[in-house]
Amino acid sequence: MKAVRVLVDALLFVPDRVAALAGNVFTALVQIRANKIRSLLTVLGIIIAVTSIIAVVSMVEGFGNYVTSFLRGLGTNMMVVYPEAVRGPRGEFLRRAEMTIEDIQAIDAGAAAIRRTSPVVWNSAVIEYGRQQLTGIELRGTNEFFQAIRNFYADTGRFFGAVDVESGAPVCVLGREVLRKLECDEGIVGDYVHIDGQRFQVVGLLESKGSFMGENQDQMIVIPWSTAVKMYPRARKYLGFYVEALQESQIPEAEGQLVRILRQRHGLKPGDKNDFGIFKQDQVLQEFHKIRLIATSVLAGIVSISLLVGGIGIMNVMLVSVTERTREIGLRKSVGARRRDILLQFLTEAVVLATVGGAIGIALGYSISYLVSMHPSMVPVKVPLWSVGLALGFSAGVGIFFGIIPAFKAAIIHPIDALRHE
Amino acid sequence: MQSSSFAGPAAAPAAQPVIELLDLHKVYRVGTELVYALRGVSLTIRENEYVAIMGQSGSGKSTLMNILGCLDVLTKGTYRLRGGDVSKLSQSRLAHVRGRQIGFVFQSFELLGRTTALKNVELPLTYTRARHRRQRAIEALRRVNLLDRAHHRPNQLSGGQKQRVAIARALAQQPDIILADEPTGNLDSATGEEILQIFDRLHAEGQTIIIVTHEEDIARHCRRVVRLRDGQVLSDTGDGDRVQRAGTPAATIPQVAP
Repeated sequence: MKAVRVLVDALLFVPDRVAALAGNVFTALVQIRANKIRSLLTVLGIIIAVTSIIAVVSMVEGFGNYVTSFLRGLGTNMMVVYPEAVRGPRGEFLRRAEMTIEDIQAIDAGAAAIRRTSPVVWNSAVIEYGRQQLTGIELRGTNEFFQAIRNFYADTGRFFGAVDVESGAPVCVLGREVLRKLECDEGIVGDYVHIDGQRFQVVGLLESKGSFMGENQDQMIVIPWSTAVKMYPRARKYLGFYVEALQESQIPEAEGQLVRILRQRHGLKPGDKNDFGIFKQDQVLQEFHKIRLIATSVLAGIVSISLLVGGIGIMNVMLVSVTERTREIGLRKSVGARRRDILLQFLTEAVVLATVGGAIGIALGYSISYLVSMHPSMVPVKVPLWSVGLALGFSAGVGIFFGIIPAFKAAIIHPIDALRHE
Repeated sequence: MQSSSFAGPAAAPAAQPVIELLDLHKVYRVGTELVYALRGVSLTIRENEYVAIMGQSGSGKSTLMNILGCLDVLTKGTYRLRGGDVSKLSQSRLAHVRGRQIGFVFQSFELLGRTTALKNVELPLTYTRARHRRQRAIEALRRVNLLDRAHHRPNQLSGGQKQRVAIARALAQQPDIILADEPTGNLDSATGEEILQIFDRLHAEGQTIIIVTHEEDIARHCRRVVRLRDGQVLSDTGDGDRVQRAGTPAATIPQVAP
């Protein structure tokens, strides 16, 4: 009962205590300064907890921003369709899944929710320019709609047009990274390169898009798909294509239409699985949410364990502190401190200790995620304000939770016993 | 300041009682044993008295001091401080009384190590939420002639200076009584004498002072000596207007003429 009363008194008294609180905070800081090493070791658990909160959250958030901006850069109302062999016995029977230009043309003709399509041949090629030779460069064979659908434009020279596509012209558009690796400048536009041994004229350069998930989007060669299938005849049967819906909201409708047309054309029976795959942005988002969920659960585990350890550390050191400072408590009581004054003093000390740990953790966590983000294949990090608030809140909460027992112990010491304490 | 209105020791007989103890009993329980620390102490101490409470260890003088200082509660009897009954107050009220009305001076100074003399003196004022703390603390330090050490920490002060800070801390609240427990016990005799001279001066300025001690030299500074034995008043040289019964040992006490 007494315990409850002292606690309630203390809490009710909080509003009046701003000035006294400042005094308590000052006393706490003096104590921390006087016991630097001890204080640091005490709050190690809190530091680890907060460091991991900030580091993980900032990376996940940075990653999230990156995914979002990547998807926006990709064009928000597009899908990618590609031939995909069905797994299992049925797949064995069907052999390699096929997709031809006729399939694509049928979709252009028959799917009302689809504005336009762009065939795509995926390959990897060797490019030569002067004495430079690059291998394993991403090559895309596509049509003139590629720019609009992928939201990926040529900013120097021109993109190839419908005429080039119809005629299968040996023209190409290069990504900036290719340019850099070829060690040449924009003067290459109009000049000739060799792609897998064939002579191509460079008509334009793609804008710089940066890399995504370790894959450099700028390291790319784009040529007309008709030219590509001439070079790689096998690709004629394994075309993929980009689809642009009329509107972002019509993506599901567009998907339904193209699935129906393709299934019909490929002679699939009800119950058969699609022999093609569809890549949509919400898949990326779902993947990302999975990653975020895993990161969050791992984080929660680390954080709760280290907060527990940190809290016990704080409780331990506060109990030691109360014993060490018993005479001080006696003196304070003899000059007019009530139980709640002492309770609040030691509680404040625990909270300040924990919060200082939290602040160190924020600085450390931020430094770590900043250092990690300096790595070229990493995304830029972002430390959201709520995570800083959360981290400080958690630290303070731990201070209160684990500080209350030592503070209470200090508060109920009898002044006479305290003054006699050796 | 309170001291500015003092009437001088000559006015003592008319002075108001500050402390009135009536048939005070204190019983402790140590394990299964009951210890009768005080058994029927009655005592009146008036404004501006300068009292020594003496007695050997076990006589009950520490218990009496704790009760006078509101650090402990009594078992039976009445304790009125400035007319108000403090025998039945809660811990919280007692703390308030300690802060407002009683200034403690301890044998081992009990200063907070990491704060300045000035902050130490301010400490009681923060607990009673007094206003003008800084000025009052400075004034208290001035009264013990230690203003030049206001910003020094205890470890930069000599023993005598520490005790003067402690006296200033006791004075800061302008308490009804100063309660000193062996205030020279940790000091050499010359420094102890200095401290006692400060008490003498404060008394001359009108302050009520009670010193608990077992040293006759200290008692000699006081105007009144109360001796305890076995929890009872053995002798009392009187509170000015009426001399209580003077037991045989008390007769040998050299009394300072008023």
